[in-house]
Amino acid sequence: MVDAMNARRDHVLSVALPVLTAALILLIWQASVAIWAIRPVILPAPSDVVRQLWGGWADIVHEALYTAVESACACALSGLLGGAVAALLASSPLIREALYPNLVAFQLIPKIALAPLFVIWLGIDAPSRLTFAVFISFFPVAIGTLTGLLGTDPNAVRLCRSLTATPSQIFRQVQVPYALPFFFSGLKVAATLSVIGIIIGEFISSKRGIGSYILLAGSRAETARIFAALTVLCAIGLAQYGLIAFLEHRVRKAWRG
Amino acid sequence: MTFLPKLGFSDPDICIRAEDAWKIYQSATGPVEAVAGVSFDVRRGEFVAILGPSGCGKSTLLMMCGGLEPITRGKIVVDGAPMTGPRTSIGVMFQESTLLPWKTVLDNVMFPVGILQRPRKDYIDRARALLALTGLEGFAHHKPHQLSGGMRQRAAICRALVYDPDILLMDEPFSALDAITRDEMNDALSDIWDRYTKTALFVTHSIREAVYLADRVLVMHRRPATVVADIAVPLPRPRDPSVGETAMFNEICGALRGYIEHSHRATRGMPAHG
Repeated sequence: MVDAMNARRDHVLSVALPVLTAALILLIWQASVAIWAIRPVILPAPSDVVRQLWGGWADIVHEALYTAVESACACALSGLLGGAVAALLASSPLIREALYPNLVAFQLIPKIALAPLFVIWLGIDAPSRLTFAVFISFFPVAIGTLTGLLGTDPNAVRLCRSLTATPSQIFRQVQVPYALPFFFSGLKVAATLSVIGIIIGEFISSKRGIGSYILLAGSRAETARIFAALTVLCAIGLAQYGLIAFLEHRVRKAWRG
Repeated sequence: MTFLPKLGFSDPDICIRAEDAWKIYQSATGPVEAVAGVSFDVRRGEFVAILGPSGCGKSTLLMMCGGLEPITRGKIVVDGAPMTGPRTSIGVMFQESTLLPWKTVLDNVMFPVGILQRPRKDYIDRARALLALTGLEGFAHHKPHQLSGGMRQRAAICRALVYDPDILLMDEPFSALDAITRDEMNDALSDIWDRYTKTALFVTHSIREAVYLADRVLVMHRRPATVVADIAVPLPRPRDPSVGETAMFNEICGALRGYIEHSHRATRGMPAHG
């Protein structure tokens, strides 16, 4: 009884504390802008951002949809590609030795610098942005999933071998379930990276999406609009992260009962 | 010794036969003889314990019998055919219960049925009967982390028996348990044994466990890693824990202890008969 109450209190605190902290920061921000009379073009007050959001809502949501859909697609593709790469690398030590160091070396390239290449290769439309976003976000999924696949309890693998299980049975029935929590951890990182990838793509080539909206607002020095766009971007990122965290929670629940 | 080479493969009574079986690892410092020329027979329906100090190669020998470790030299013949890899007629139980954490106890017990692609409905009753026999009927839908170590190992026994293999190989299955739970497990295994008689090879470093469970005890030395004694345990079955108080039980334990201490002195370069 007391435990349940304590648990509920902890739960309430874990929600209330970050919300209160954020509210306090916004309050200080609002007060600072008023006290030092900071010009809105340098730093708009939170109330200005809210007013901008309220007034330009339809406009901003219209642009946000492009970014949201494309980054969700990029994240899903990263999951598929990352999972497939991990499965390939886990399938044989030979393939792993041949590919893994190259994959890591490849990852050391600052990928943002490669964005113009994708424009040359794939043009300025969605395929180009998606490819670039997947390119920068699949890696954590691949590494996480590979860790899980290779970290499978060796005793479980030995048990399967004693039952004359085929490698594909061992993969599907033992290695994949062991790797699922790792896969979702990687996917959470990929969700953030895929939004970054799409925004960079929009900066470079698009007439649509939050990226181009921010660029346009920047060129007109409409700082409040930039902040409004950033707020919506935060919401997109949170929604994706939340969805993946929910899926991960379901998997962990199936795991731990 | 019960090794009777004259009978050959045609003897249908012999289930497992090791003939001068060797396991040699190549290490950085040269070859290591993990199993050095072991020969023994196990008759069908017999429960044989392999007793020896840790590091004597007894687990390696067991894994060779199960087809999980390649044999460097010599051979191990099971049911008339030399071992080259795992077989469905041989069930293996390991030191760790190795239950899959995302499956319920019942699904873990049924795991071999899925791997062997046999129809689930043919085995589900047997799985439930085994769980009932091991006192786990109330835990069929629990997850492994909700069970104690002893309960997990009992579930592992059920899993090893659910698909009805002819031979059961057990690699120190109770050595990670505390002494009281271990006695309980020996009792449970003895019970199961009386009901589902199989040919069994049981690796242990506990003298009392070996004598309580087995019809015969093979004693292994460390260097060379080979079988040095083959002691029959003519205690009547079914056995219950009170058998541990009898003179015969303690006499056999004493004899086995003699062999093991002898082995210890030999490996330390001391005189064998001090």
